[in-house]
Amino acid sequence: MYRYLIFNRSFRLAIVLLFSAPVFAAEEVVSEQSYLQEFPVVLSASRLAQPISETPNAMTVLDRATIKASGFRNIADLFRLVPGMYVSNLNGYTPIVSYHGTTDNYSRRMQVLVDGRSVYLPPYSKVNWEDIPLLMDDIERIEVIRGPSAASHGANSTQGVINIITRDASASDGVRANITQGEGGISDVAGSFGRSGEQLDYRMSVGRRADNGYYTPLLNDDNVTRIFNLRSNYHPNASDSLDIQFGHSDAVRGEGVLGRSSDPFREVASSNDFQQLSWSHSHDSGDEFKVQYSHTNSTRIDNKLTAAYPKLEIFTQRHDIEFQHNFELSPSNRFVWGVGFRNDAVEAAYWFTNKPPTLKQARMFAHDEWRITPAAIMNMGTMLEDDGMGHRNASPRLSLNYHMTSQQTFRISSSVAYRSPAILEESANSQPYAGYRKALSSGGLSPEKMFSKEIGYTGEFLAQGMSVDTRVYSDHLTGLIGMDSLINATYPTGYVSAKNLYSVHFTGWESSLKYKWDDLSDILFNFSRQVTSCSAYELPTNYIPSNPLFAQHVVAPYDTLLKQCPQMTPFDSASLLLKQQLVSGVSFSTGYYYQGEMRVLDAGSVQTPMRRVDIRISKSFGNLEKRGGGEVALVMQNVFQDKYSEYINVMQLTELLFDRRAYLTATIHF
Amino acid sequence: MPISQQPFISNLFAFVRPVTGLFGKATLVLLMVLGISQAQASHLSVAIVLSESQGAYQELGIELKNSLPSEYSVQVIGMESEIPVADMYVAVGMKAAESLANRNHPILNVLVPHAGFEKLQRPPSATYSTIFMDQPAQRQLALINAALPNATSIGILYDSSSVELDTLRKQSKVMMFDLNEHKVDQQHPLAGALFDLLQVSDVLLVLPESNIYRADTIRNILLETYRAKVPMVGLSASYVRAGALCAIYSTPKQIAYQAAEAIENFAITGKLPVPQHTKEFEISVNNQVARSLGIPIKDAVQLRVEVRRRQ
Repeated sequence: MYRYLIFNRSFRLAIVLLFSAPVFAAEEVVSEQSYLQEFPVVLSASRLAQPISETPNAMTVLDRATIKASGFRNIADLFRLVPGMYVSNLNGYTPIVSYHGTTDNYSRRMQVLVDGRSVYLPPYSKVNWEDIPLLMDDIERIEVIRGPSAASHGANSTQGVINIITRDASASDGVRANITQGEGGISDVAGSFGRSGEQLDYRMSVGRRADNGYYTPLLNDDNVTRIFNLRSNYHPNASDSLDIQFGHSDAVRGEGVLGRSSDPFREVASSNDFQQLSWSHSHDSGDEFKVQYSHTNSTRIDNKLTAAYPKLEIFTQRHDIEFQHNFELSPSNRFVWGVGFRNDAVEAAYWFTNKPPTLKQARMFAHDEWRITPAAIMNMGTMLEDDGMGHRNASPRLSLNYHMTSQQTFRISSSVAYRSPAILEESANSQPYAGYRKALSSGGLSPEKMFSKEIGYTGEFLAQGMSVDTRVYSDHLTGLIGMDSLINATYPTGYVSAKNLYSVHFTGWESSLKYKWDDLSDILFNFSRQVTSCSAYELPTNYIPSNPLFAQHVVAPYDTLLKQCPQMTPFDSASLLLKQQLVSGVSFSTGYYYQGEMRVLDAGSVQTPMRRVDIRISKSFGNLEKRGGGEVALVMQNVFQDKYSEYINVMQLTELLFDRRAYLTATIHF
Repeated sequence: MPISQQPFISNLFAFVRPVTGLFGKATLVLLMVLGISQAQASHLSVAIVLSESQGAYQELGIELKNSLPSEYSVQVIGMESEIPVADMYVAVGMKAAESLANRNHPILNVLVPHAGFEKLQRPPSATYSTIFMDQPAQRQLALINAALPNATSIGILYDSSSVELDTLRKQSKVMMFDLNEHKVDQQHPLAGALFDLLQVSDVLLVLPESNIYRADTIRNILLETYRAKVPMVGLSASYVRAGALCAIYSTPKQIAYQAAEAIENFAITGKLPVPQHTKEFEISVNNQVARSLGIPIKDAVQLRVEVRRRQ
């Protein structure tokens, strides 16, 4: 009901906008005004992306062409094209994305932003990828910062930042419709409608994504997600811009394992909506001010059907406001500073017998890009944060980029970042629940601290159509929070808490190569090699080898975990995407994804190596990006039926295997 | 100006002013010719008429006045004032040019684009000429060559055919550029035309189309070019500040010097030069935009040297 209400309102709005579109003024004026008119600064410092050779971190940019050529239907899959990134699935609708290991069910150590709005949500402090109210087609590009970037993006940018940038409202014109049908119950539809005017641009998208998840009958992971997204931009003049966005997603998803009474087949309803408002003003001097407010609401209702089990309901609400000011300190210094506040509230009766705390976080940041000489650029910045749990952290970063030639740049960089404990880690107090031990947090957790050093190189050989990006790094993560098993003589009763248990050291190198040898063909190749070592930070509370019960249930598991911990990252991983345009609108692309053997932190079994090949063949009619264009495409994933296993086995019943699947997709733009 | 310094000819005109009718006009022309011979003795009265009493108009007017020999009688006036009697007039901008166009006096137009001059429908002569505001097509293309050596196809948006467009078409052929033209009108909205154009162009060259490039459209145009990674070459420093990669233009000061030279020459020969482009020019570069687009661009001084060399 609620959803229909939104639709109705939006369509009415759309109709009003359609008719108020300004008419082109066709009077002929010949005057000198064209030469004399004054314009405000449009491409201001904050709008201009730093070129990759001048960023303080390594960065991978996935553009629309790459996203399309990959053939992926889900946002999370796209990160297979980022060196060092791990992408797998817990089931048909729960992707796990992590960078440089520390992978678990939650993948907490990477910040994810959509147009500056964090989608990394409490109480788990994770990203529900499938709940983001965003259609693939509305993505303009994705920037992945590889390495900690807390100085710019705040806490939880511990190992990296994913910045999803959606299409400007002004980039849409006309109606686009897309339908996808395929094996495994794949059935997606999406439509969007956009208009670009002189003062007002908008686009509106609706879509539905559905499939039957994995082929195994043991797992109930059928899923349907409906998405609505609207972005509108009002720019009464060229110096002010008001960006209004809202989105809504709701999903019905299967949950449960066949024959397991504690996890029966059932349906889980999940929804997410957000409203976002940002106003930016650029001053003639080049100063730019920006205020952004967003509100996010997410709900997950798991009705376990069995009377013995409680209804699992989680409601999350976030308000976030940020002010930012960009300006030039001098012709060689670009400066940005800002302040932000965030309020996170959670309601989850199962997890919190006592009402969980509302987190009030505050942050203040400053960053300076100093062009010391035309060839040497220093980026320095810091973020000061109060995480609302009694911790105040400073996350500084310093980097020096040196252009050896106009094409080749070396970068040396060092930074500190923190991950704040999740509300659930700090304050869980769950209801008793048969088959599970009670979660009762002891509290007093420290934020995890990352100290990172890297040396990078970028080469942009325009004339040869080639670009290279490579880096070696040493990342030290201390105080990694893990599960602290607090048992007593009546084991298996007792409860679990969270504690800063481990320290992990990652060293490695990763490379990206892009090569375009003619106008019709290009290739992207990524490679990553990493060595992980782990050590104890603090011991579990009940780490008492002399007590046989503790030795068996606390000491041994902890020691095993420490021993297996280095396997949480594959030694090698690689990906490759080849795009080739053939005759008369026919294009071919193929992706190859390799990941060495590994074992994620919270899974008992080893994940076998992945050697997966995807292909996409398409035929386009006209230009898809404009009216009159269209395209049909066939995508086949895991063409050679490689039997690699996913993130986790189905609770020790079976390995989760990703079988070959194919789907057809057709798009028309009118 | 003290009376004693008023040149003789002005007084003469003042004297004949009440004379009307055919005879009066003939006298006027006769006296004008006499006046010119007087002017050769370095006494020339010049009225600089500004379309607007501010900004570039005023800057140019004052600069021109200061550049002319001090023995000239020079008045800088706005359109709102009564046009005084003078040996010759300088019309600064189209409005002034239009209001003076019918006057039977020597007139030099400045801050008037080529197309604007055509619109005045008065053939150029020894006593009627213009220093065009627009840069010659050859010079603009030379800038593109110097700033973007790999650019081969130039995109342009236009609303109506103009003399600037014609010369650009011819010159592009000569300089081996592909010119992608998209007309923008009610049937062809800006957004679609721009999108198509950017797909096939290495650079967007701005033409003086006031229906297309306006304060309220520049935002989306620049954002779209940035999105498509196609740099814009603008018409003025203001374009560059807003986000164009570079622009070539002449400053009011440069135009004033050239006008002063023409006027002094006129004082001696009685002839204005043929309508011409500016001789001196400036180049502005937006280094931040260049860096962000990954364009290794030379600095403005180097570009200027190169463009000059290519002329």
